Amino acid sequence: MRLEVGSFPVRSISFGPATRWADGRLTVDKTAALAEVRRDPRVASADLHIAAPGDSVRIWPVRDVIEPRVKVEGPGQCYPGICGRDIATVGQGRTHRLAGMGVVEVSSVNWHDAGGDFVETYLDMSGPFAEMYPYHRLQLLGLVVEPDPALSDESRNDAVHRAALVVADHVARATAGLTPPEREVFELGPCDPALPRVVYIWGVHSPQAMSGSLTAFCTATYGLTQLTPPWILHPNEVIDGALTGPYRTAFAMSWTVANNPLFLDLYRRHGRDWNFLGVIVLRTEWTTQHEKQMIANQTAKTAKMLGAQGAVVTWDAGGNEFIEVVRTIQACERLGIKTVFLTSEDDATDGAPTMLEPLPEADAIVSTSFFKNVTLQVADPGPVSRVIGLERKVIHRGSGVGLHGGADSALPTAGPLPPPWRYDDHYGFGSQSCIE
Amino acid sequence: MTEPLRVAHYLNQFFAGIGGEERAGVGVSTRPEPVGPGRALQAALGDAARIVGTVICGDNHVAEREEAAVAAIRRELEALRPAVLVAGPAFGSGRYGLACAAACRAAAALGIPAVTGMHPDNPAVEAHRAHVLIVPTAESATGMQAAVASLARFALRLARGEALGPAELEGYVAQGKRRVWDRGRPGYQRALDMLLDKLHGRPVVSEVPFHAPDRVTPAAPIADLGRATIAMVTTGGLVRKGNPDKQVAANATRYHRHSVKDLEALTPEGWEAYHAGYFNHIVNRNPNYILPLSFLRDLEGKGQIARVHEWMYALPGVSTPVAMARQLGHRIGEDLREARVDGVLLVAT
Amino acid sequence: MGIPVGMISAIYSFAMTTGANRVVRGARIEHVCGDPGLGPEKDYAYGMRIVRKALEALTVPVSGPTLFDPHEGPAEEAVHAS
Repeated sequence: MRLEVGSFPVRSISFGPATRWADGRLTVDKTAALAEVRRDPRVASADLHIAAPGDSVRIWPVRDVIEPRVKVEGPGQCYPGICGRDIATVGQGRTHRLAGMGVVEVSSVNWHDAGGDFVETYLDMSGPFAEMYPYHRLQLLGLVVEPDPALSDESRNDAVHRAALVVADHVARATAGLTPPEREVFELGPCDPALPRVVYIWGVHSPQAMSGSLTAFCTATYGLTQLTPPWILHPNEVIDGALTGPYRTAFAMSWTVANNPLFLDLYRRHGRDWNFLGVIVLRTEWTTQHEKQMIANQTAKTAKMLGAQGAVVTWDAGGNEFIEVVRTIQACERLGIKTVFLTSEDDATDGAPTMLEPLPEADAIVSTSFFKNVTLQVADPGPVSRVIGLERKVIHRGSGVGLHGGADSALPTAGPLPPPWRYDDHYGFGSQSCIE
Repeated sequence: MTEPLRVAHYLNQFFAGIGGEERAGVGVSTRPEPVGPGRALQAALGDAARIVGTVICGDNHVAEREEAAVAAIRRELEALRPAVLVAGPAFGSGRYGLACAAACRAAAALGIPAVTGMHPDNPAVEAHRAHVLIVPTAESATGMQAAVASLARFALRLARGEALGPAELEGYVAQGKRRVWDRGRPGYQRALDMLLDKLHGRPVVSEVPFHAPDRVTPAAPIADLGRATIAMVTTGGLVRKGNPDKQVAANATRYHRHSVKDLEALTPEGWEAYHAGYFNHIVNRNPNYILPLSFLRDLEGKGQIARVHEWMYALPGVSTPVAMARQLGHRIGEDLREARVDGVLLVAT
Repeated sequence: MGIPVGMISAIYSFAMTTGANRVVRGARIEHVCGDPGLGPEKDYAYGMRIVRKALEALTVPVSGPTLFDPHEGPAEEAVHAS
């Protein structure tokens, strides 16, 4: 599988009479883009806004950030399978991407109505809070979209995410006939057989347990979000968006998945430092010990059958999902596969272990620091001049399906706000860590 | 030329040359000079410091009469007025390790900084590392030179009032005080470096050292269930229907207790789940899934247990830090002990 | 004197690794003491088996984390994760 990726850097976005990319400037025909979005009768309202690095702007609620990518040669469609898109296997031919930008999916639609998981992410484009995330360096095109409220929660999710993908496709297609200023070829070429063979075990949350549904919206593999056995992906499939965000943190977005630095560096050093065998997607939140252990065993077995001698492991969730991840690590080590685990840490008060289930086999851990913004003592982001999205942000959710007893309480989005509950740098973008 | 820093050294009966096991019961004494390995320690300290006294005690004496021994060690240290105490090294010896930790505790009570050395697997490490500065040593006294050199380095810094950096960088045994730290390079690079090191058999230092969770001594079993009062506790986030008590759905800072005195079972009309960590709808239809009242009433009726305790305890376990959970568990336990409950069923989700 | 606790959990190995001494295997996180998929009678019988096993656990002396599995015979000593 050979994939050539052509990158078109975006250094500014503006609205104009036609959607085109030239010399780093992306012009967007707002009317045309929104017309495409509104072809879906499920969309009730839609509007586009621009946010540039350094702007005093806050975007809320952020459901996803998507890097526009489009196939110009080869089978399938980028971000395959999700929202009814083509399910052909991707990863071959040529793909164009708009680098340095993201389409932001802004909507009040929550993941599902079963309680427990809520859209919490908001993004600033300037200030210390903004600098904790990669997005403040991107040119952002925000789609504020709301669906017909009478639809089921799954239909509402599908409608708004599809709308964001329509906008991403619309701008990416501006590069279709153009020569990319930067080109990179991705393939797992033959390499020195003495190089150690490694896999990337990519833990991905499934909403199946929390939502009670096989088809709830969340991070997807070819559009599937349900609990599935370990799934082998060629890394080119990930580059073409076969594994998409979002889940509930700013680091679990389609943009961070497609630009995962751990994954990309692993891939780029294939043939030099190791023989990269591929990605194994490990779905998490199985709800019995048997299932968790079984999936751990099977994931390790899959890695072993591929010939892995080493594995890097990441995850994008919290709570009991740690168990299948750490037991996968244990199972790998017991099969002689040397693992490195990149993870955030829980509360360390009174010397408590910061791993939910500490196992001695998890002996090579890279820490991306505490996952709670309160433990990181992140200061409340201050006021901003402009809001893209909702004018008020829920701070405490009430009883019923929320997180706290009592009524919802909200604050003006433009004012100082507490940071979201979780930070959680799933892929090691930053250098924040913990030490003892 | 400033006065050399005053150092006190703690040794057991064996390293002090008093004797072996048979003298392990000997009490606290002090000699006004370096003794045994203290001579190597003095050499390592050089001119900057002087061992002004060696406090000696038998390992069994400390083990059997710890408070008295600690008080006696404290009195000796008060007289010696050291700027720092060095205890051991104890290497792999468990009782000596515990005694060294006790000596450090005596010093701490006087505001005197202290450091000890022992093998990382010494049982005293897990028990005391949180509040005692421990440098890792070899398992046996063949590692004496290295141990003494390490102890001397730390002793001088402590005596000078220097603050120590994190354990991972300084090389002492981690004390469970994890804090935010910028490692200067992105996590993904550190992960791939670690991978290469591991693949090529090079030593790797985990950024999160392994520490086994606490063990608790199991309580004695119930002799006769038929005479037992059984209480129920759940971390499944059970609340009264509508959540009138405003219990949170995660990150508990308190628990709620409810009377089940007049209830034969939990009904969906009266109760529901409010917990951010699992799908609540199934428990909403049958709350007994997370608090087995219906079952226990059945067994109570048949005389298989004497009675269901009137009070049940509920909280949402998800996202609750361990330190908080310990506190809440302790208070629930005290309540139940006062109420003379014989056994508990704890349902976790 | 401590009070014996029978901890009923679907994720029992984890309970044992983290130090619970009498651990009883529950059905599933979302329904620990029973299984609605079995229909009301069998669901109740299953829940009762779990609760009985938990009470039995309270009567057994243990020296460390021990699993009591309502799906099996007498209590088994922990063969825990590591």
